[in-house]
Amino acid sequence: MTLRPLLLIAGAMLASPAAAQAPMPVIAVPPLSTPADKPVGGGQTTLGVAWQASQLIAADLRTTAETLAIPPEQKDYYSYPEVTAPTFSRWRAKGAKGLLTGFVRAQPDGRLAVGCYVYDVEKGRELGRTGFVVDADDWRRAAHRCSGLAYQHVVGAPGVFDTRIAYVAKTGSGAAQVTRVAVMDSDGLNHSYVTAGDTMVLTPRIAPKAERLAYVSYAGGKPTIQIVDLASGNQRALIQGDLTSFAPRYSPDGTRIVFSMVNAGNTDIYMVNATGGVPQRLTSAPGVDTDPSFSPDGAKILFESDRSGSQQLYVMDASGANQRRITFGGGWYATPEWSPDGEKIAFTSRGSDGLRIGVMNADGTSPKAVTSGPRDEGPNWAASSRELIFQRTDVTGRSGIYRVPLSGGEPRKITVPQDGSDPDWSGTRE
Amino acid sequence: MTRRSILLAMALGSIAGPGWGQVRVPRIIQQVIPATRQGQQPQLTGIDALRADFLARSGTDTILFGGDSTLLGLPTKNMLALQAQWLRQHPEVVVRIEGHADSVDTRNHALAIGARRADEVRSYLILLGVPGAQMTAVSMGKERPVPGAANARAVVTLVR
Repeated sequence: MTLRPLLLIAGAMLASPAAAQAPMPVIAVPPLSTPADKPVGGGQTTLGVAWQASQLIAADLRTTAETLAIPPEQKDYYSYPEVTAPTFSRWRAKGAKGLLTGFVRAQPDGRLAVGCYVYDVEKGRELGRTGFVVDADDWRRAAHRCSGLAYQHVVGAPGVFDTRIAYVAKTGSGAAQVTRVAVMDSDGLNHSYVTAGDTMVLTPRIAPKAERLAYVSYAGGKPTIQIVDLASGNQRALIQGDLTSFAPRYSPDGTRIVFSMVNAGNTDIYMVNATGGVPQRLTSAPGVDTDPSFSPDGAKILFESDRSGSQQLYVMDASGANQRRITFGGGWYATPEWSPDGEKIAFTSRGSDGLRIGVMNADGTSPKAVTSGPRDEGPNWAASSRELIFQRTDVTGRSGIYRVPLSGGEPRKITVPQDGSDPDWSGTRE
Repeated sequence: MTRRSILLAMALGSIAGPGWGQVRVPRIIQQVIPATRQGQQPQLTGIDALRADFLARSGTDTILFGGDSTLLGLPTKNMLALQAQWLRQHPEVVVRIEGHADSVDTRNHALAIGARRADEVRSYLILLGVPGAQMTAVSMGKERPVPGAANARAVVTLVR
């Protein structure tokens, strides 16, 4: 017991700077099992799906900055009964902290049962299990949920594997630019366009369970907020009237939307039921109040205002009462968003040297830069509260969407078919 | 109006006279004026002819602002007086006033600033007697930048 801290210090002294960070927990992902190899349509069998699912789970875990994965190998295959009684010693020997086992089983109705178990390798005990019955071509979602189960138990935060990303896809430039709202799974699959590209669109914001989204459209000549149901494609205006409205965001429970609206040149923050109705005005200060974002419990609203003469961050009750400034660091702070765990605020800092992404404590203290800029903006939290997605524009004016872990490391570009901007990351789907 | 923008406008008005509310001559005037001087009437008809006449008589379609300011400077107001005069003489014409913001601004703040700029121009033209029904105002935020130019601007465009 007493030797342990000493050994850690010795190790840290020998380690290179990069390795001096806390070691990433390793999760072993042996191939998923199947009780009997049955055809599942499309030339696939349950054994093939089980193999691909375990590869997908290992790939999911490797995309995070918080976990490493031991990928599946044929020799590690467990028989169906062994899934719930795995050997721990050999995973301990490989340095794994966590172990994920599971199975894919054909159901009599042609669907697939997918089950997963997550174990603490050191203690040799189960941490959690989950199971789904899905259509044969929907096994990926079940696999993503298994990845999330392992991530949740090993890292202690929700995973981002079963989430969606909305963004604005862009082609061309200037007046000839075509913009479309697009959505995809967080691994880039199931990419589709939500709007046709016949009118300029901005800032899609996904509802918490990713069943619909709000975005800003110029279809009526000026910016107004539209709501689109992602399953049916049905669209409607959020509010009646022809005032300019933008910067929509859903409440954590999806029942309300906060947004900005312009009346006689003055931009204030309003709230309305997500189903529509008469908006309630929450701010009235002269100047621009915009980019509102709810606290995770829905009780408070974080926003940006230039009422002091520069863009600063403010917090108020969801009723609009008790408005108070929280940033006094001397810089300009914009586009705030509360982390899902309530601990941090992500923001865009605006300075003479450009726009960059930063993170501060939820009380406005200790702002820190996360990216180097010079044209990075609009940070948005992953469900894990460990990672941000944002927009980066290069010197030629072309933009892309990037994700960056808060634990350090360079932002990584997310591959999309065209240029991308205004990314928004959903919470975990139900 | 924010305190910062008022201070900025005061500073610009006192020390940076030529840069404030500066007039940019659009390409179309550069084309039209030499042609007229040479005695060749430009072959413009309909909305194009009206646009050329509007630009020639009011000097510019573009109103520049400083930084994040949404205030109209004195040179700008003089220019808008010329636009107002023309618009009163052409009550059949409808204009669209677009407010823009710089790309150094963040997206939604830029939309709000652009909306304010368009509204300031429209309100001032109403003050000078142009019927409100003759003008629409819209914010383009930072979505339609002119490369290499100041984008803290509002643009008055004839639509019909």
